[in-house]
Amino acid sequence: MAIQKILFASLLICSLIQSIHGAEKLRLFKELDKGALDVTTKPSREGPGVVLDAGKDTLNITWTLSSIGSKREAEFKIIKVKLCYAPPSQVDRPWRKTHDELFKDKTCPHKIIAKPYDKTLQSTTWTLERDIPTGTYFVRAYAVDAIGHEVAYGQSTDDAKKTNLFSVQAISGRHASLDIASICFSVFSVVALVVFFVNEKRKAKIEQSK
Amino acid sequence: MAHNHSNEDGSIGTSLHGVTAREQVFSFSVQEDGPSSQAVRSDDPTAKFALPVDSEHRAKVFKPLSFAKPHMRAFHLGWISFFTCFISTFAAAPLVPVIRDNLNLTKTDIGNAGVASVSGAIFSRLAMGAVCDLLGARYGTAFSLMLTAPAVFSMSFVADAGSYLAVRFMIGFCLATFVSCQYWTSVMFTGKIIGLVNGCAGGWGDMGGGVTQLLMPMVFHVIKLTGATPFTAWRFAFFIPGILQIVMGILVLTLGQDLPDGNLSTLQKSGQVSKDKFSKVFWFAVKNYRTWVLFMLYGFSMGVELTINNVISGYFYDRFNLTLHTAGIIAASFGMANFFARPFGGYASDVAARLFGMRGRLWILWILQTVGALFCIWLGRASSLPIAILAMMLFSIGTQAACGALFGVAPFVSRRSLGLISGLTGAGGNFGSGVTQLLFFSSSRFSTAEGLSLMGVMAVVCSLPVAFIHFPQWGSMFLRPSQDGEISKEEHYYGAEWTEEEKSLGLHEGSIKFAENSRSERGRKAMLADIPTPETGSPAHV
Repeated sequence: MAIQKILFASLLICSLIQSIHGAEKLRLFKELDKGALDVTTKPSREGPGVVLDAGKDTLNITWTLSSIGSKREAEFKIIKVKLCYAPPSQVDRPWRKTHDELFKDKTCPHKIIAKPYDKTLQSTTWTLERDIPTGTYFVRAYAVDAIGHEVAYGQSTDDAKKTNLFSVQAISGRHASLDIASICFSVFSVVALVVFFVNEKRKAKIEQSK
Repeated sequence: MAHNHSNEDGSIGTSLHGVTAREQVFSFSVQEDGPSSQAVRSDDPTAKFALPVDSEHRAKVFKPLSFAKPHMRAFHLGWISFFTCFISTFAAAPLVPVIRDNLNLTKTDIGNAGVASVSGAIFSRLAMGAVCDLLGARYGTAFSLMLTAPAVFSMSFVADAGSYLAVRFMIGFCLATFVSCQYWTSVMFTGKIIGLVNGCAGGWGDMGGGVTQLLMPMVFHVIKLTGATPFTAWRFAFFIPGILQIVMGILVLTLGQDLPDGNLSTLQKSGQVSKDKFSKVFWFAVKNYRTWVLFMLYGFSMGVELTINNVISGYFYDRFNLTLHTAGIIAASFGMANFFARPFGGYASDVAARLFGMRGRLWILWILQTVGALFCIWLGRASSLPIAILAMMLFSIGTQAACGALFGVAPFVSRRSLGLISGLTGAGGNFGSGVTQLLFFSSSRFSTAEGLSLMGVMAVVCSLPVAFIHFPQWGSMFLRPSQDGEISKEEHYYGAEWTEEEKSLGLHEGSIKFAENSRSERGRKAMLADIPTPETGSPAHV
């Protein structure tokens, strides 16, 4: 009986947590003020078919209040600039999916910089970090209010996310020392086994011949 | 004549050591230390062993906290080797969020690699029986550990989806240690307790799939702290399971012993070797429809468990926005439940058999597997973290207990082909895992949550065939045992595996003794009506 009560209580608590959880997070992307900021990106190397190298190439990013502006400009406190996946890099990869619910949205996981809001033109030069995966990207800047909720945004590409994209090639992550260590351990493993095997067979032969 | 079938492998001429605690072991006919391929006539007193032993020098007592040579040492070396292999096979799973960024993998690539990781063992498990027979359990285990260690290290070289899949496939071969571990405990422990021993070895080894979900993110984190970038750190993290494998291999070779009396190569082989014909053993295994029912059932209990080991960490990471570390902890709880869940399943099966006979075993198997599958459906539908964790824990207990309960039924399906049937069942687990990963987790057609629920539905449906397992002497879930005087005898069922010619040569005597002892599967009512059969642990040494 006691167990049933405990189970029921825990189920009740779980569902309460669920409802609280749910109430908080229904902030949607389409409610944000679109195009409030003008964002431009200039990669260190440009040209047709150029692929930027993670860890080496840089992006020169600028942002400022756009001509369209925003009704909620007074709420802007911080501008968060993020690196975002373009649609070609989201195909067959549900962990990068675009959701309208801001909490679930996985389009822009890579943080570039966060600066307090300033009406004048802001810029930064950012080196592509070494954990950026291979893919096609654009840059988006969110205007965030005092409690950390997004209010408006601007991005370096159009609404369909087709223009002005750039490609990045990730580092391989391989290392010569790692390769060598790997080979050494592998060889040791096989050789040790063979040595044991041959040794025991030899001992058995000696025993038998006795 | 001596018939030697291994506990859990698919090869000929390997020792039969009964798999449940209830049957007696009759590997040899009447003589005390009868001829066999792997035991020796010993005149030494059995006092030299730390544990009480039977006439074959197999331990009669299971003391999990002891490391006494050779029995308990073999047990611990065996299950820890199996545990290490589980760690290696599923080491990639908790690191997939990093690996998929490094190698630019799609969901299809990840799913296919998951299928590959469990497919290799289908073949290596079937082959391991022969290896243990020829070279002994030590070398079987050591081969598995030390020859797949290079595959683990070669994660350093992986650069794209193709090489990732190939490496995971090759690492997967080491799951054959399941067979060598069960084989080793079978030669070391007597029939009465072998059920519990094997259940513990199997369950504690399976725990590796849970521990790896904790271990790998932790190792990854520590390596990152030393300054490595994520895309290098995950490669280096694979050195830990690799080194563990080498260490365990060396420990097995130096500290372990093939048989209670010594190592295979240094023991003198005495007496005639009488191995059963592989073709016969194979034919009787394949002809028995119950083998295939068990194949499918294990595919949806162990198979589901293997699949979850591959997908659950990524599922929690993606769906609930957890850190790699936290997702790993939750995923680990799934595998860790094996510590008690699988032995519990075996125990529940034994208790059900005591009360209701084989029919009880079958009902318990169906109930545990179906309940587990229902909780899997719930897991896929849970949209909040606490409910998902609760569903996952209940799901893990149900499914893992079903694995234990299944091996309470398997030993009775055949006596002649026990080893091969156990090996086929084990391979069925891997096969089921490959199928579920291919269907539900390898494309973007279903989200992972949908995949989990659909897998649960498929498991419920594929657990129904338990109802078709019918033993003429004991009945099935819905049918009573046969009323016919001849067919309702256990001897008839087990004797049917031998031709008249073989019977005239007395080859089937082991089966007859087994049949006598399996009368306990009639349940309490029938047992009270019968003359009680002797329940001594050692063979009938006259």
